[in-house]
Formats: sequence, structure tokens, C-alpha cells
Amino acid sequence: MSATALHDDHAAHGHQPGFLRRWLMSTNHKDIGTLYITWAIIAGIEGGVLSMIMRAQLAEPGNTLITNGAAWNAIVTSHGLLMIFFLVMPALIGGFGNWMVPMMIGAPDMAFPRLNNMSFWFLFMGFIFVNLGLLVGVGSGIGWTLYPPLSDITYSPGPAVDFTLFSLHLAGISSLLGAINFIATILNMRAPGMTMHKMPLFVWSILVTAFLLLLAIPVLAGAITMLIMDRNFGTSFFEPAGGGDPVLFQHLFWFFGHPEVYIMILPAFGIVSHVVSTFSKKPIFGYLGMVYAMVAIGFVGFVVWAHHMFVSGISMDSKVYFEAATLVIAVPTGVKVFSWIATMWGGSVELKTPMLWAIGFIFMFVVGGATGVVLANAGLDTELHNTYFVIAHFHYVLSMGSVFAIFAGFYYWIGKMYGQQYNETLGKLHFWLFFIGVNLTFFPQHFLGLAGMPRRYPDYPTAFAGWNYVSSMGAIVSGVSTLVFFVILFKIFTGKQKLAANYWGEGATTLEWTVPSPAPHHTFEDVPVIR
Amino acid sequence: MELAELMKQSTKYGLLALGLITAAAAAHPALAASLPKNSAGFTVHAPQPWEWWFQPAASPIQKSIDWMMQFVLWIMFGVVLLVAGLLAYIMVKFRASVHPVPSTTTHNTLIEVIWTVAPALLLIVIFVPSLNMIYQQSNYKHPYMTVKVTGHQWYWEYQYLGAKGVDFTSYPIPPNQLKPGEIKQLSVDHPLVVPANRKIVFQITSGDVLHSFFIPSLGVQRYAIPGQYWHQWTKIDAPGVYYGECNQICGMNHDNMPIEIVALPMAQFQAWLAEAKADAAQGDVPPVHKYEVLAEAAAAKAASIAQPHLALASNASN
Amino acid sequence: MSGDLHTAEGQIAGTVPHPYHMVEPSIWPVFGAVSAILIAAGIIFVAHYNDYWFLIAGTLGAVGTMYVWWRDVVRESRTPGLHKLVTQIGMRYGMALFISSEVMFFVSFFWAYFNFFFYPSHMGYAHAPVWPPQHITTIDPFAVPLFNTMVLLLSGTTITWAHHALLENDRRGMIQGLGVTVLLGITFLCGQGYEYTHSPFNFYHGGIFPSVFFIATGFHGFHVIVGTTFLLVNFFRAIKGQFSVKRHFGFEAAAWYWHFVDVVWLFLFVCIYYFGRSAITAA
Repeated sequence: MSATALHDDHAAHGHQPGFLRRWLMSTNHKDIGTLYITWAIIAGIEGGVLSMIMRAQLAEPGNTLITNGAAWNAIVTSHGLLMIFFLVMPALIGGFGNWMVPMMIGAPDMAFPRLNNMSFWFLFMGFIFVNLGLLVGVGSGIGWTLYPPLSDITYSPGPAVDFTLFSLHLAGISSLLGAINFIATILNMRAPGMTMHKMPLFVWSILVTAFLLLLAIPVLAGAITMLIMDRNFGTSFFEPAGGGDPVLFQHLFWFFGHPEVYIMILPAFGIVSHVVSTFSKKPIFGYLGMVYAMVAIGFVGFVVWAHHMFVSGISMDSKVYFEAATLVIAVPTGVKVFSWIATMWGGSVELKTPMLWAIGFIFMFVVGGATGVVLANAGLDTELHNTYFVIAHFHYVLSMGSVFAIFAGFYYWIGKMYGQQYNETLGKLHFWLFFIGVNLTFFPQHFLGLAGMPRRYPDYPTAFAGWNYVSSMGAIVSGVSTLVFFVILFKIFTGKQKLAANYWGEGATTLEWTVPSPAPHHTFEDVPVIR
Repeated sequence: MELAELMKQSTKYGLLALGLITAAAAAHPALAASLPKNSAGFTVHAPQPWEWWFQPAASPIQKSIDWMMQFVLWIMFGVVLLVAGLLAYIMVKFRASVHPVPSTTTHNTLIEVIWTVAPALLLIVIFVPSLNMIYQQSNYKHPYMTVKVTGHQWYWEYQYLGAKGVDFTSYPIPPNQLKPGEIKQLSVDHPLVVPANRKIVFQITSGDVLHSFFIPSLGVQRYAIPGQYWHQWTKIDAPGVYYGECNQICGMNHDNMPIEIVALPMAQFQAWLAEAKADAAQGDVPPVHKYEVLAEAAAAKAASIAQPHLALASNASN
Repeated sequence: MSGDLHTAEGQIAGTVPHPYHMVEPSIWPVFGAVSAILIAAGIIFVAHYNDYWFLIAGTLGAVGTMYVWWRDVVRESRTPGLHKLVTQIGMRYGMALFISSEVMFFVSFFWAYFNFFFYPSHMGYAHAPVWPPQHITTIDPFAVPLFNTMVLLLSGTTITWAHHALLENDRRGMIQGLGVTVLLGITFLCGQGYEYTHSPFNFYHGGIFPSVFFIATGFHGFHVIVGTTFLLVNFFRAIKGQFSVKRHFGFEAAAWYWHFVDVVWLFLFVCIYYFGRSAITAA
């Protein structure tokens, strides 16, 4: 771009660029955030449709909706990858992170706006590839954990698995560049006077998340690079026949995979903190405790990975260590939960839709955390590993943890982002339907797991029929609630309200509430000086 | 003061929670529910319809798992109930309509220390017995016998170490060939036969991809990893049939490589093993036996003592 | 604390104009992403269909994207008023963080190596639990690898020579130092190429030792190529006189990167070449 072109654009400040220029060439954190959220919704719909297909198949034993086990495995794999890499992460980090972090720290944009745009487009390319992994040939039926030897060329010969692996490379590069961008932005571009200890908790959560991404994603990249080499270029890292070790992959994968779990939940913690504080009209209780609890979770999250491998190839002593380290995480997590409760305590609590999602989050996350403490016991994991108990556990922290927080953030900020408020009645209906739906879906899965039902089964012994049927009914309720969400979206996009800058009133105290709603294309070109 | 109020309420709701837990514990049904028997008179350790707890424990390991699970779950149930109670209290007492003026408290060192230390203590309480379980499960020394278990796409192979040639494969029975008493996706053509009341070690490996050798009622689970051997032991309390399933995604028939173990009284097992060895020595005859055949003698004896047989309450026809 | 601080506006004492560089819309990120997916598809097509066109197109696209994108960055940095101090600091954060992530990338390969080095029993079928594996003759660490170590250590000093020359406004010295560093980088790559072509074990289906050896040293070699290119770009920029005593982050970034590559090599040399050598080695 020539210097004159640069100048022209400066003259045109405040005006939005044309469609292609705005959405394809964007260097604006808000537009890129919108792209992320839009794509998260699209990927979420696809992942949701896949889960509906799965619940339909599992509604009763002997179903013939999906007769090919390979196709089933491909659906299971894609559902996991879509929901993790293309729904939760883009929504929480790319979406809300991009939108809110610069505004919350009083910066006009991200540190590296072009890199920011490339992060999104890498994600988009990853999305194309994950779909090729689902659709090419029989699809890649290796589970989201990608364990070799099943993912080796001998047992998954087609290119589908390669598409899946490269989709993770692309999504991984996207996350990595995003992480660098967030850290540089947060450390370098805070408004004057905004010390680290004055930073809003959502910004802190994104900062810790970004460090986790920065240090964890490259290890996954190394692992899948080795797997791709094993598949296509004659190495044998994970192939026993060539002297390799399949368990090595599990170590590398979970060294990434466990921080990944916190990558998906820490931004949710951040959002919930803001919502809880806003709708209690009280500042956060124990701010420093909240901050350092997140930092602690981030640190400990790196040294607990092999608790995913208790029944795989690890020794007795490793089990003891990894169990102890894992249990430690419950302490900072408890600090978070109790601090949220103390924030609400004595407050003036308004149960608006975002607050319902946030309280729902706290409760459901505690349930998922409780089963997490159960699973942390290596001895119990012998019985529970890979059963539906695990499925129930991680859906309680993801489908009801992260996703609840995504909806909390969506309802909390949509007026700021789009300038139209959601319909309160429909919002509450959405919450209650989804709350009932997911609990109906996932609570019975605890029972299935206790009774010994393994995960990733397209069909099951008849004895498991009862709870599976209940679970599938729950899925229908969740599906209906999503339709309500679409109606809400439609009403938002066709609305013609005028919203105040701070439409939540006195409880909303972060800087994004000082700019108009919707936030103009550029905010804080005059940087606020913080008291 | 706020703190005093908070602590008072916490105590109150904590006690309430504890009371509820005790009540629920009292109402907890006997865990050793009666299990069906199959036509050969064997107790069938398979999942039951609407089961909401572990399958009844049939080995020392699974018994401690069952105990530990209750121990941890009651504690966690208390935690969940505490949080739920506090949230409910907040939503009732601190609604904007009844509590319009929010407090401005943002710190209280004492309570922050409490809610950091108390969970830590709770975790230690969980960790200590849990440690014992790890040691218990890892102690696979001095077995009565060792069976090498090899996972394959998509069947299991059992090799009796120390019994030359006793090595056979175990395939699921296709749904359309199930006989009465056999269970869809659980029954196999050639079950693994072991003695009851003896320490048995499974030496688990794989011939191709990862599998997981998982028998819920015995508390046995370990990945089958190609090129590696991992050990898991069990001691089956009583004769019976024990079902399990492959529990690690292993390709398109992952849901169709079940495990069926028949535990026989020692004398019958020895008779079976002798016959199996003889079969193996002959070469072309697969040294395998369906437990019905094995059970005939036992059943005849049983009939002489006039024990009624319960029909297997399973839906084999599906 | 005053209650004022508990409102959104109450925290703001006033405003100052922002010191940042607001970047204009750019199509290069999309080019970059398209090139990346072409490279990814290209590797799959090479592996499964022996078709190289996607890979060639993607690589050209990626190189082109880097050229035009960084050309823009260089131009912006030379446009007065765009890269103020805070932006320059931001670049430093960016590069330091990128190198941190690169460290973790190498951690995965070292992890793979140590998994077998410390636990040779983790090798799959039919391997005696010794490292290096019994049938492997490794490369003599005191032949080409030691030479290459010396080359890289020397290049670490020559890049520092260039840096100091730059700081003392000695452009000629800086160009000389950079030029020598680039030559040393190329020398290293030649040495590595010689070693690979004369290695006593094969990469393709050669088993676990060649796998970990070639992936760790190969990715390092790739980073040397990248680092050398980075230095070469700075060499030309120095000739053009684009660096000043106060403003030369492009050079510093290349130097950081070069030191990183250097340190990785030292670990490779010590852990893989030296401690991982067999009793009899091939010169």
C-alpha cells in the first residue's frame, strides 16, 4: 500500500470501508471479532447437527440410521473437533476476546491487526479441512484425540485423516498467532494508569489463556507433524513395528490437551465474573484472589496431563503424582466459585438473561468439577475411563460450562456489539429450555457410565436403552432451545432500538460501557487515562 | 457484619446439606442388587436396564472402587449442595426487588483463607484412601495364573501362559445368531475361562491399534497397546459370567468386540484346562469350550440338589 | 476507594491521543491463509496422489505473501509517525513470544527423543532396550557436527559484531558482520547437507532412530534456512541504509532468531549427537 493510499484512508476515518474491504481485508478488532462469532455460530450449528444425528442413532439400540461404524467414528471425531476448535475457542477467544479486550484496556485496536485477520482466515481454512476430514472417503474416524496406531496409514489409509490433522495445524497456527497478538496487546497497550492489577478479569482470563495457547499449541503441532510424517513419509515415531511408541503421542497430545481444557474454560471464567458483578451491582469479591487463581490454574494445568492416561501406558508412581497434581487444581477453582458467590452475596441481584446463564454456569460447572474430582482419582478412573461418565463430566464443563458462558457473554454484550437488545422473555425461555435440555441429555449419561457403557459406540447392549432414550429426549429439548436462539437472533437483526452506552446501569463498570452502543468502528482513538 | 452473616448462613445450609446427605445415604438402595442367572445356572454380571450405579462388585478391586466412589461422591455431593444452597439463598434473599442497595464489600481475608484451605484439606482426605487404591490395583505379583490378552480389530485373543497351546480367539456373536440367554454385543463364541477365587493377572497387549480391556464388574481396565505389555490383576469372588467391552476407539467395529469371562470353581476349571490342553495337543481342534458345555456337569449336580434356575432376563433377540 | 471508581466513566480522568499504529485494511492475510491451505493440501496431494502442483502454488503464495506483507511493514516503519515507541515495543513482544512458541515446538521433538533415550524399553517390537538401537551406527559427533557447532558459535559472534558495529554507526562493519554471518549460515547448511547425504542410516522406513534424528535436526536445519534468509534480508536492508542507531528492530529480531537457532543446535549437539552416539560411529 502506498503512502498516499494510507493517507486517503486516514481522511476517511470513521467511515466503514466497503463490504469486501471490510470483511476480507479487515484490520479492525471489532469486525474480526464479528467474523469469529459468526463462524463460531456456523460451526456450532454443524457440530450441533452432528450431535443430533448421534443422539438419534443412540435413542434406541439396534438403530440403523448410521450402519457404517467408520462413518459413525468420523461423526464423533468431527463433532469433537468442531465444538472445541471451531465453536468454543473462536467464540470465547477470537470473538469476545477480540471485541472486548482492546476496549476493556482502553486501546483503539489489537497490537497486530493484519495478523489478527490472518488468524481468522487460518481458522476458516481449518474449518474447510475439518469438513473434508469428515466427508472424504469414509471420513477420519480416529476420535478427536487422534491416537495412533488407529490414525496411522495402515489403519486409516485414505487422505481424510491427513485433512483432519492439517485442519488442526491450520487452527493451531490461527490460535498461536491470536495468542501472540493478545499477549502483546494486553502487555503493551493498556491505557495509562491501567496497571495489571486494575485490569478487568476478562482481560486477565484472555491473557492467561493466550499464554497457555502459546506454550501448548506448538507441542500439538509437533505431535501431529510427527503423525503426518509417520503416515506419509516413512518415519515411525508412533509405530511399534519401527520401534515407535504409541504412548508418546498420548503424552504429547495431552501436554497440549490438558491446557486446552483450561483454554476453553478460563475465558468463560472471565465472562462470568463480569456478568455476576454487573447483575449484583457489586464489584468483584477478592479480585486478586480471582486473578491469581486463574494464573495458578494456568500453571498447574501444564503439569497434570497424564491423568488422561491412567489406564494407558503409565507407571504406578506416575499415577500417584498425576493424581495429586490434578487434585490441586480443585483449590484455585474453588476460590473462583466461592468468590463469585461472595460477589453476589449482599448484592442487588437482577436475574436478567446473562445472569441466568452465569448462575447456571456456576452451578453446572461445580457439578462437572465434582465429577472431575472423582475422575482425578486414578483408582476410580480404572472403572470410569472412557465410559459415559467421562462424557457426562466434560459436557458438564463444556456444554454447560463454556457454552453457558458463551451465551452469557452473547446476551451481555450483544447490545454493545450490534446496538440492539435481545428479547428478555425469549432469552429466558432460551436459557430454561437449554438448561433442561442439556441436563436431561447429560445427567443420565453419568448412570450409563457407571453401569459401564463405553464411549464412541454407535450401538449398545440393550440394557443401556433406558437412559440413552432419556438422553436423546434431552437432546431434542436442547435442539428446540437453539431454534429459540435463532428467533432471538432474527429479532436482534431486525430490531430498531436506540441503546444507551451503558444499558446495564451502575453494575457495569468496565471501559466498554463508556463508548456508545453499538460501539463505533473505532473506539478509544483518544486513550482514556485511568484513575 | 457481612462476614458473620455469611458464615452463619453457610453453617446453616451446610448442616442442612449434611442432613440431606445422611438421609439420602440411608435411602441408598442395597448396592448388591440381585443379578439374573443364565440357563446354565451362572450368575450374569452384565449391565441391567436403568442401572444407575456400578455393576455389583465381584472382585476386591471393584469393591474398593465402589467404596471409594461412594466416599468421594458423598463429599462432592455435599460441595454441590452447598453451592446450590448458597446460590438459591442469593437468588431469594438478594433479589434486587427485596435487596435494592448492594453492599460494597470486596475483601475479607479470613474467609478467603478459609475457602482456600478447607478444599485443600478435603482433597487430602480424598487423596489418602485413593493412594491405597492405586497400590492395590498395581499389585499384580504372585498370581495363580497369567492370561495374555491381545486385542485385535475386532476380537480378543486369550493365551494361557504356562498352559502350552491354550490360545484362542473370542469373537462376538452376531445379533441375528444369538441364542436364548446370550446378550447382544456382549456374548462371544469362546469366552475366557478362569478359576474363581484365585488371583489372575491379565497381561494386556494389542496386535494392531489401541484397544482397552474393560470388565466393569471386576474393576479391570487397561489399554491394549501394540508393542507393550501392561498388567492388571483381579480375583473373582464367585463363579459366574462377567461381561466387558472394548473401551478405546479401535475402528469401525469398536462397539463389537466384547469380553466374556466365565469364572468356574477351581475343580471344574482344572478339568477344563486339562481338556483344553489335550485339545491343543491334538492341533487342529480349537481348544475352546462354551460354558454351557462346561456347566452341564455342574448343572446336573445342581439339579440333584434341586436348585431352581432363573431365566436370563435379557433381551437376546434384539 | 471512592465510589466514583465503581462506575464505568468514573475511572476515566481524561484522554490523550493514542500513540499506536492503526493499520489499514490489507488483503495479504487472506493471501497468506489461502497459501497455507494450499500448502497443506499440497502435502496431502504429494503423499496420496503424487501431485505437486498445490504444494508449488502454496509455497509460492506463502513466499509472495511474506514478501509483500513485510515490504508493507518496512515501508510503514519508515513512514514518519507510524511506528512510535510503543509500536516498536509491541514488535519486540511479538518476536519474543513467537520465539517462545518455537521453543515449545522443539520441545515436542526433544520429548520424542528423550522418550526413547531415557526409556529405550518404549521402543516397539523386537528392539533390545538400548539407545541408540542396536542396528544403528550413529554419526561421529566430533566430525561434521563439531565443525557445524563451531560454525554456528562463530556466527553468534559475527552477528554480535554486526550489532555492535550498527550501534556505533559503523555501517560498513555491520554489513561485513552480517555478510559473514550469512555465509556461516550457508556453510552450516552445506555441512548438514553433507551429513545427511552421507548418513549411515536411512530416513525412509529407517526406524525410530532416524525418525527422531532427522525430524529434530531437519526442523532445526529448516530454521537455519529461515534465519539465514532473515539475515540476508537484513543484509540488503543494511546496504540500502535502512537501519539507524536507534531504529533497527528488524535486525534485532533476526539476531534474536539466530541466537535461538544457535541454542537449539547446542542442545541437539549435546543430547542427540554426543549423548546419543553409538559405540562405533561413522565419520
